[in-house]
This record gives sequence, structure tokens and C-alpha cells, in this order.
Amino acid sequence: MLCQACQKNQATTHIKNIINGELTEKHLCPECAAKQGYGNVFDHMFDIGSFMSGFMGEPSFALASEKRCPNCGITLSQITKGGRVGCARCYDVFYDRLLPSIKRIHGNTYHTGKRLKKPQLASGENSAETEVKPSPKSEIESLGAELQAAVKAQEFEKAAQLRDRINALKAEQGGNI
Amino acid sequence: MDTKWYEKNGKDGEVVISTRVRFARNLEEYPFPIRASANIKKEITEKVKDAVLNNNSVIATRFSCINMDNIDMGSKVSLVERHLVSPEFISGGDDKTLLLLDDESVSIMINEEDHIRLQVMTEGFDLDKAYELASRIDTLLDERLKFAFSERLGYLTQCPTNLGTGMRASVMLHLPALRATKAMRKIAENLTKLGLTIRGAYGEGTDPVAGMYQLSNQISLGISEKTAIDNLKNITRQLIDRELKARQAICAQTAVQDKIYRSEGILRYARLITCDEALKCLSDIRMGVTAGLVKNVSLETINRLLVEIQPATLMSREGKALEPSERDEKRASLIRENL
Repeated sequence: MLCQACQKNQATTHIKNIINGELTEKHLCPECAAKQGYGNVFDHMFDIGSFMSGFMGEPSFALASEKRCPNCGITLSQITKGGRVGCARCYDVFYDRLLPSIKRIHGNTYHTGKRLKKPQLASGENSAETEVKPSPKSEIESLGAELQAAVKAQEFEKAAQLRDRINALKAEQGGNI
Repeated sequence: MDTKWYEKNGKDGEVVISTRVRFARNLEEYPFPIRASANIKKEITEKVKDAVLNNNSVIATRFSCINMDNIDMGSKVSLVERHLVSPEFISGGDDKTLLLLDDESVSIMINEEDHIRLQVMTEGFDLDKAYELASRIDTLLDERLKFAFSERLGYLTQCPTNLGTGMRASVMLHLPALRATKAMRKIAENLTKLGLTIRGAYGEGTDPVAGMYQLSNQISLGISEKTAIDNLKNITRQLIDRELKARQAICAQTAVQDKIYRSEGILRYARLITCDEALKCLSDIRMGVTAGLVKNVSLETINRLLVEIQPATLMSREGKALEPSERDEKRASLIRENL
């Protein structure tokens, strides 16, 4: 589908709106979407596809697109094009590749806040109502993944910072570096 | 019938019209809606319905279940106008189902952008109340459903913008004076730096019809619900103070008073009025009421009218489809009857 504004580029952003009592849909290319002020609105109507593919870089995706999520079958290029992830597993499968965009959106890569009442892995047990706290080990793992992503993206300054942070955490745990 | 939240005036009602807290949740065992077949969506609907309707909580019996395939477009649009569902939700079949509490304060959208969108609305400025209720219902669902959750990324959502808490908290603000004094652009710029976003509550994009704005948290990963809400509360409080000060200043000007009284005249006597004009005039007299200029009109009435004058809601009230000109006439008489 062509962009309704410029009639030139492929429309990737689809905005649904109620105007004068009627549901309308607007189809825009990334550029026109940004021009019309949909570049910063992430809530219901904004499709981040263009946004993600914009900074993740299409060319490298074409190469990586063979890999599919074994659970839902989606490829990375489909995710970046549509701006939507296929299933919960995708976040594991494509973790390293999705992390930079997640970081860019939120400025963070580690969840704090409400957690599941029952820890997920202990599905067979009678779980107590205790909240699961992130363990330092999992934080190290998370930072490790970020580190890998940073190295891949050749962000060496950031990688060095992450390496130092990981070493500090390991030291806190009394482990040998 | 219970009074709806949009028919009331709540805390800090001079500036804050309503508060909303929304959680995005998905079931671990199913692909997200973009990768889910019609059959899977049906299964999801049944599971969520069962979890909501057949638990032992007191509110379970107060929900009604509306399948979007079974109602006409006018009723669907009216749901959007009443802020109960998103435009996305009414835009196409696939077993999109709404569970709606009788007073319309809680709506649970099934198969929207995520499997579950749980939303709580309250009148006025009451983030704690909205959050607590949303969180209680979420916990109730957590006991019966297996949510997609990761230690690192929190609640997993179809769009990465909702990762982490999956929470979007927002307040609908009436800021006519800040808008008139051209302060909004600068405020919006600063809010972005604080992880918040503000946009026009009516109409398209960022166009703030009637000085109504929606302020919400932008970030959901790496920030706890409490911190996000405290942040939003803090900024809202500052905006309320600034708006009230700005109102005091501009309402002393004859030109502004003239505008308010003209709007009151139009609302009280017009025989035909479009939705946009009505919104603008209602916005003016809303400010007039809080400044003590407009008498004998309550904020409750204005809040209720802001919803009831919307085209689809007006038509569902009349029980039939109306041409735009017929709507303008009905709208004008509805307003006259209420002022």
C-alpha cells in the first residue's frame, strides 16, 4: 500500500482514528508519519515499525532474516518491518538483536516493578506468595547480553562501561574475575 | 444504573477530568495477536473470559461481555468516544471481545494489540485508586492465567514500547489557559526529557481540540509502577498549579471574559452546533465555571456533555443513525436541556 500523503513510498504506519463519529484509517510512510507528528506517539495508534527499522539498519537484517523463532515462525526482518514481536519466545530468540532498540525506547533493559505471583519456572510446585527479586547473577547475564550487543554494534565505549559494571557486580558477589 | 465515571467530577476536577491506568498482558502459551490464527484467538477469548467471569471476586458478576463482531459500527465508535476501548480495537473482527464493568470504570480488551488490555478509569485525579484497582484485577487474573513474563524484560508485549510493567498511566487534563498563553510547546518538550508524553485528547495527532490533553508515562521498562505513577503525579500537580495561576491571570482580561460569555450564549441558545464548536464552547465555559464567571452550571454536567455530544454517542442515545445536520440539531437541544 502506498503512503496516502506522498503517494510514493510504501506505507508502514497505519493510524486509526475516530473523526466525526467515523472510524478512519490513515496509511503513511515513515517520513510522512514523522512529518505529521506521529513520530513520537507510541501509544495505541503508532506503529513503531518504521522507527525500529530506521535505526536497526535494514541491510544487516536481510542477512539475518533466515533465522526464525522456533515457536511462532517469525523472522527478525518481519519483526523490524512490522514493529511487532511474534510471541514471548521471540524475546529470547532474538534477544541480542532486539536489545538495542529496547534500550533506545526505554533507556533501560532491566525490569523493575510488579512480578508474577507464581514464579514461572516452578510451575509444578506450590509457589509461595513471595515476590521474585532479580538475582545479581541474572543482572550479570542481562548485562552480558547487552555487552555482546554493544560489541556487535561496535559501540566499544559502551561495551567497556558494561564490562566494568559486570566486573564490579562479580566482585560484589565475591567471585573471581 | 450506576453513575459512570465521566458523569462525575473528581479530585482536582477543575483541571483533571479523568485518570486512566492500563496494563498490557499476554498469555505465555499463545503467539501474540499478529501471529495468532482466528481459532487461537477464540481460545484466548474463552480463557480470559473464564478467568474474569468465573472467579470468586465480588466484581466478577458485574462484567458484561461484548463481542465486537456482534455490535454495529455506531456502538463501537461510541465505545471509543467514551474512552472504553481504543480505535485499534474496533477496526476489524478476529474475536475482539470487551469485558466491561457495569459502571464502565473497568474495561478488559481481549485480542487488541496484546491478548489482554486491562484498563481502569476514574473521574478526576486519582492515580492511586486507578492503579490499585487495576493491580488487584491483574493479580486475580495472574492466579488463573499464565502471563508471558521474563525476569529481564518483565511482562512481554507485542510491541516493545510496552515491555516491563506493561503499564500506561495517564490523566486527561483541561489546560485552556496554558494553551492560550502558548506555554504548551515548551512544557511538552520538557516532559519528553522526564519520560512523559503529552498530546491532544481529542482529534488527530497532537492537535489539542478544546484544550484537552492526555499526559502519560512513556517508559515502562526499568521503572516500577510506583515510580512511574509518582512521577506522573508530581508533574500533574505542577501542571495543575500552573494552569490555575494562568487562569486567574487571563480570566481577569475582558477579552477572555467576553469569549467565555459568548460561548455560554452559544451553548444556551444555539439551535445547530457541530461537535468541534460544542467542544470549544464547553471548554470555555468549563474555565468560566472554575473562575466563578459562569454560574449555575456544574463541572459534572460539563464532563458528561463532553462525552454525550460526540457523534456516535449522540446517535446511540437517539437509538438511530442521524445525518450530520440532524446531529447538530440534537446536539444543540441536548446541551440546552442540560444547561
